[in-house]
This record gives sequence, C-alpha cells and structure tokens, in this order.
Amino acid sequence: MTISRRAALGLGALGASAAVTAGAVLFRRSPAMRGVLGDVTALKGYAGGEKMAFIENPKTVKALKHFGLALTADRAGSVDQVRDPQLLGTGPQFLWPSSSSLVELARRHVKVLRDQVIFNSPIVIYSWTPFAEGLVRAGMAKKENAHYFIDAKQIIDAVIAHRPWKDLGQPDLYGTVRLIATDPNKSNSGFMFAGLVANLLSGDVATMANLETILPQLVELFRGMGYKPDSSGKVFDDYIAGGPGADPLVVGYENQLVEWILQDPDRWARVEAAGGPAKPVALYPRPTVYSAHPFLSLVPDALRLSDALMSAELQTIGWRDHGFRGPLGSIGADTSDLVKGRMPAQIASVAPMPDIEVMLKILDALA
Amino acid sequence: MSSALAPASGRGTKLAAVRRRGSALAVAFAVAAFALAGCGGSGGTFHIVAGSEQKTFEPIVQQFCSDQGVTCTIDYKGSLDIGLMLSEQNAPDIDAVWPASSLWLDMYDAHRRVKDLKSIATTPVILGVRMSKARELGWVGKTVRMEDILAAVSAGKLTFLMTSATQSNSGASAYLAMLASAFGQPDRLDPRALDDANAREKVKALLKGVVRSSGSSGWLKDLYLAGAKAGRPYDGMWNYEAVLKETNDALKGQGGELLYAIYPADGATYADAPLGYVEHGQDKSTHDFFDKLQAHMLSADVQAQIAQSGRRTAPGMARPAPAEPEWNFNPSKVVTSIALPEPKVIGRALLLYQEVLRRPSLTAICLDFSGSMQGEGEKQVQAAMGTLFDPQAASRSLIQWTPNDRIMLLPFDASVRDVAQGDGTSPSQARLLQWVGTQHADGGTDMYACAERALTEMKPYLDSGQYLAAVVIMTDGRSDAHDGFADAWRREGHDVPIFGVTFGDADKSQLDELADLTRARVFDGRDNLTEAFRSVRGYN
Repeated sequence: MTISRRAALGLGALGASAAVTAGAVLFRRSPAMRGVLGDVTALKGYAGGEKMAFIENPKTVKALKHFGLALTADRAGSVDQVRDPQLLGTGPQFLWPSSSSLVELARRHVKVLRDQVIFNSPIVIYSWTPFAEGLVRAGMAKKENAHYFIDAKQIIDAVIAHRPWKDLGQPDLYGTVRLIATDPNKSNSGFMFAGLVANLLSGDVATMANLETILPQLVELFRGMGYKPDSSGKVFDDYIAGGPGADPLVVGYENQLVEWILQDPDRWARVEAAGGPAKPVALYPRPTVYSAHPFLSLVPDALRLSDALMSAELQTIGWRDHGFRGPLGSIGADTSDLVKGRMPAQIASVAPMPDIEVMLKILDALA
Repeated sequence: MSSALAPASGRGTKLAAVRRRGSALAVAFAVAAFALAGCGGSGGTFHIVAGSEQKTFEPIVQQFCSDQGVTCTIDYKGSLDIGLMLSEQNAPDIDAVWPASSLWLDMYDAHRRVKDLKSIATTPVILGVRMSKARELGWVGKTVRMEDILAAVSAGKLTFLMTSATQSNSGASAYLAMLASAFGQPDRLDPRALDDANAREKVKALLKGVVRSSGSSGWLKDLYLAGAKAGRPYDGMWNYEAVLKETNDALKGQGGELLYAIYPADGATYADAPLGYVEHGQDKSTHDFFDKLQAHMLSADVQAQIAQSGRRTAPGMARPAPAEPEWNFNPSKVVTSIALPEPKVIGRALLLYQEVLRRPSLTAICLDFSGSMQGEGEKQVQAAMGTLFDPQAASRSLIQWTPNDRIMLLPFDASVRDVAQGDGTSPSQARLLQWVGTQHADGGTDMYACAERALTEMKPYLDSGQYLAAVVIMTDGRSDAHDGFADAWRREGHDVPIFGVTFGDADKSQLDELADLTRARVFDGRDNLTEAFRSVRGYN
C-alpha cells in the first residue's frame, strides 16, 4: 500500500516534470524505450555518503538503465555540496544532500531546476545493547516493543555535564558520556543534530532571539566530540569498526544499520549469535529530526533522474535494500525477516529544524 | 606503476571505445575478450604501502594477489612517511595505503587522494610490562591509570620502549593518551592540554621513561625480543595490543618472561588499520582490483585469521582471539577510546612532542671520509648533513633538533680526525654544518675507532641519564677487524645503540654485527643518503 502511494507520488512528480520540461520531453522516446535501445544518459553529481550504497547497488544501476539513465555520484558531505565553491565549480548535474534545510542554501549558489524529496530517514543515536539497557535502567531511555527511545534532552545534558558512564548504568566503563556526530559544517547528520540540540537547549525551535543564550553550550557539546569526520557513512563505519569502547554513542541515520544488516545477512546472523557486548542498536531520540533526501536537479536531464528515483521500482530498492523510508516518512511493505519490526512504523515526536539563517549562525559558531 | 594493470585496463578502454561506436557485434566481441581475460587485473602489478604492523598479513594479501594473477608489492613505512608521501604535490605512484591509523591520513592527505577507506581491524595501544616488574609494581589484576604509570616512572621503577610520536603511530597514540590524561580529562584530548604547563610537565616526566625509541612499531617488538634474548629484558613497551600478543607468542617460543598487558583505565587510542585506494588516474581495472582486495580482507575467512592474530574485528566479522588471562590479554574487553581533536591540533601536539616534551637526544654521528668517499660520496654526505642540520628541512619530517639535544660529529678515516660538538640551536647547527663542509675524503677506514671515541665523548652526558642516546655510523667501506670493540661496548654499560648507514659498496656485515650487538639497525643509504639519515633520526 505504501509502495503504491509512492508510485502515485512518483507519477505526480513525473507529471510536474513533464510540465516543466515539456518542450524537451515531448518528442523524445519514452524513458523505458531509451534504456532498451541502449541510449543511456549519464549524469554526474554529488551525493551524501549514506546514499552511496544505494547508488552503487547493481539493482539501482539496472533499474536506472531501464529509464535510460546512468548515475555517477561522488561522495560529498551534504553541507559541502550545496555551498563549497570548489565542488560546485566542477559542474555537477545534480546534488543529493540529506536535508530539506539545505535546499534553500543550495539555491543561493546554484540554479536549482527542481528539488524533490526521494527518501526520508530520521536521525538516530547508535549505541550497543548493554549501553541501551543501561540507559533504560538509568531512566533515560524506554524500550517499547523492540525499539529503544531515548530522552534527547537528558542525554544531551548528560554529555554536556560530562557525567560519568556509571551514572548511566555502566559501572565498568571508565570516563564520561560522550557521543560523536559528523562535522556540522560539512555533513548533514551533524548539521541536523546541531539543529536538534539547538531546539532542545532552547526548549522550543531555536530562533535568532534565543540563539545567543544557547550557543556556548552547543559549542561545548561539539567541541567535546573532538575530531568529527565529514561524512555520515564514515562515522557509521567507524562506529561499527571501533566497537563499544571506541564509539559508545554516534549520531546517524536510521537506515544505516538496516542497510548494514541487509548487506550481509550471514554477518548479522553471527552478530545475533555472539554473546558479547558487540551488538549495534539504534536509539530513537525523542524528539528527533527527519532527514529528507532532496534531489536537486541542476540540468534538464537530471529531472528525468529525479523522476526515475521516485518510481515504484527505485523506491522499493531504497526501502528493501537500504532501509530508506519514502518521501512521507512511512515504512514500506515486504520487509526482509532480518529487519522486520526493527524500525518503528511511525516516528511520533519529530521537531522541525530551525530556519536556515539560524542554522548558518550555528554553523559559524561551530566552525 | 599502478597503471601497469595495463593488459586488462587496455581491454577495458577498448571496450568503452567500441561501445561508443555502437556496434553490437564489436560489443559482443569485446565482452567475450574481457571474459576470457578473466576480469580486471590479470597480469598487472599493484603497489601497496603499509605500516610495519600489517606485515603479519602479507601472506594473506600475496596469496590473494597471486590467485588473481596480479603482482603485488608491499613497502612498509612509518605512519609519518605514509602521510608525507600523500601530502606531496605530485601523487605517489602507489595504488593503496594501509597505515596503522586513519589519523595520519586525516592529517596529511590534503589532496584527498585516498578513497574508499575501510578499517580492516582495530587494536588499542596499551602498555606491556614484564611480568615480574608488573608484580613488583602491584599492577597484576589491578586497575592501572596513567597517573600510576607516571608515579612508577618518576620513582625510577619503570622504563619502557616507545616509538617516536612524530614518526610512528603507536608512539603517537601513547603520547596523546598521556597528554589527555595529564590534563585531567583522560577520555578526550582537550586542545587546551597542549598549552597547560602542568600537563606538559607530567608528560615530560612520563616520557623520561623512554629508554629506547624507534620509527617503527614492528621494529620495537624486535627490539624487545632482542633485549630478552640477550638476557637484558626491558621493563616494558608501549605497543598495539595485537603486537604485544605477537611479542608474547615469540617470548613463549624463546622461553622469555611474558609482558603483562596494562590497559590504562583512563582509555586508549585505537589504531584502525584503514585500507584505502590511492587515486592518481589509474585505470578502472586497478580500482576494481582494489575493491576485490578490500572485500577479500573483510571477508569472513580472512577476518577470522585477522582476529586470531589478536586484532579486534567489527561485530559479526569473526570470533575474537581467546583471552589469555596469564598476561591479562583480552581482545573482547571494552577499552574506552580517547576522543582525539582535529588533525591540526594533533599536528600541533606532535610538534610539541618533538620540540619540547620528548627526552632530549644525544647523537654522535661518525662520518666516513676515507679516500673512497671522494667525489660523489663526499657530496652526498654534505647534502645529507645539509638536510639534517637545516631546521626548516628537518621540521618537514618532524625530526628537528631542539636546544636540549646534544650533537657530536666525528669525521673519520683510519682514525677519528676530530670531534665537533654542538646542540640543537640554529647557530650551533649552522656551525656543525659549516665544519663538516671543510672535511675532504682521504685515507683509510676504521669505524670501530670512531664508535669507541664516540662513546668516550658521550660518557659525561650518558652518566647524567637525561638523554636518549645513539651512535650513527655512516660508512662506504670495510674496516679492519676490531675484536675488542664488543667488550668495550659492554663495559661502557649504557646500552647505547649503534646504528649503521650504508653507502657505496659498504660491507654491510660489519655494520650488521654492530647493530646486532647493540640492538640497533642498519639503514640503506646507497640510493638516498639523506633519506637514510632522516630515518635514523626517528630512533632517538
């Protein structure tokens, strides 16, 4: 049902696209025919690291080929790709950042023909099962069905206050609570997390009016993280590779763990079978922010790619293989048994991001 | 020669060309040819530069390369060297890097040449302490913090081996952990720690515990083993958890006393062994081969072998090596990592180590000015000294001297001509350089006479216990046998290592003998004397 709704959306977008580029599209062959005949339009641009696996998925490549399209994307942080003159100077045909807030920023630097949200994924905090259980014991998190929900304000306060792990149910772990996100000036998950924290510290959506009072704490929080990688993919890879000692809490997208599980089912079977502490788990902050993945078409040909990405076929690949929710944030059908029930059907508590002027000010403070 | 995956890549290019022409027949033919070739890489070469601690896995890599019909070469370099190579304006002619830690790539890969990095395994840098010493310190089965280590060093009860923080990742990791702890926030290195006088003093005091250093973690292990074999075991060694396991495995073989693993409770710095592709316009087949190699290294079978070596693998990849409680080794133990600051802060911290906090060095350099060094030889020695004593050039490789260092230059032929002494101040370095410029090649060769004289000249400084000492002998010839030297060295008693730098058609065996005796090593200066001197500077 969800899929069909997405398909309808896709069709709607297709209609809109047709109207925009009517002259160009009208007399061309149908997209599907183009693929069959081998007439492939290659498009090159930038995408956030968290979408690279989807982009490189052979199923994605094949499906796009049916539409007569070939997509090549270089990994670039979401914030970088919409404003870095060096990246924009290379003449990308599309940008695919991970936040709607960034669309407006992109428009200041390049002419965007259309922006279309392709996927959605809420920001989560990745941790490890024993830590999650500890947070439940410490009253900071709740386990509902199979999902952990964490009180976002409480965990942020604990990090800022350098509370020791033992206060959070981890008597054996030395040191103080810390989490890591990407560099907000470069990558979207850090950018959105900064927005979320600004909201939490403000007690409401952060505005220019209350920003000054909360900035010092926000800066302290990000400074305490130390070196922040510039891509969400890198942070997640480090989290997995480093294990509970190296990366107890990291900010990421909901789909990243799902994708990791689906990538190698045997590996996941071994994780499930292992008795040790090394079992990754997503904590859903309450509230959280939603990362949309808007596709920005910068050239007319990219509009076709945008449409193709909205097709039921591509949307299904995005969901089934990579755990991306659809443009409306709902989960898809036909989940693999491996990840069935892993994602809550709905994310109840979602905060809007502060507006872009506020975010730019935050970025400057965190630079 | 990365584009030397040429046979296959040539086909790939042709394939693209015929496709453009759009001839279905040609496409079919090319596809068939491609399939026959057995896919990208067959017959080419692939060049990897790796940290010394990855040597353990060379057989796995080579087996894979040979199965794929690709000739792989692996050069082992220190972390800094890998970083510097990537920072050059011109891309290095290599296809992949596999350093100890991504830290060095973050610091030096300014051109963003390294792509598709994936960590193959991790291992924290911890302290191994000889079992009887650990017992004496009351550390067996106890929680040990960096402040306990500091107390032991300050009380003169503990010394250790540690690689140079500016040249090698394990030393840098240990040093950064010391700095974080000294500032009072052990689980994160606050940039403010660098400027905190109290933290600096503590780290300086900790680094007084360094009795021998090196530019390579793998070599440090060999040094430890050599000490144990010679019946003069060192107290301990900062190294990777996994390398401590390798050391103990070897010690079990040679019947030595094991190292007890101290996981400083404050936290540790992890090495993440990232394998990345170095992009410089190679053919697609080269990149394809890299992808396959990386996937192979992350496959369940290989990860199982890697885990058995004592490294930590990602969840679900492999079963960790079993704990070995007799020496406190436990690769399943959750060790808090230290959050490190931005790469530029780390760069500053390394500078601080080299220029302020490390134990000052006492270095005597014996330079062969015998007749055979005339012409090219003489010129190259002068050039090498020109780099060594040029503060700016030396700083680029983080081997710069400081005013606290003591330097002695001993040009020799059949005997030592004279000795010039100085310190690491700029004027003093300039004087030394100028003086060495007045030397011209002539006469016979006796490096032993020079080594003996160096030890004599060093004596008052050695007795002060302040310095990390080394003698470096550069020679291109063969000295007359000198039976008494080994005894003289032993009698001297300060365990001063005598490093060798070969040049021309030097008889390496004599330098090797000295290096074996004194647990040092010989550097090959035949191709690049400057480079050899640069390397040896990482050892004290």
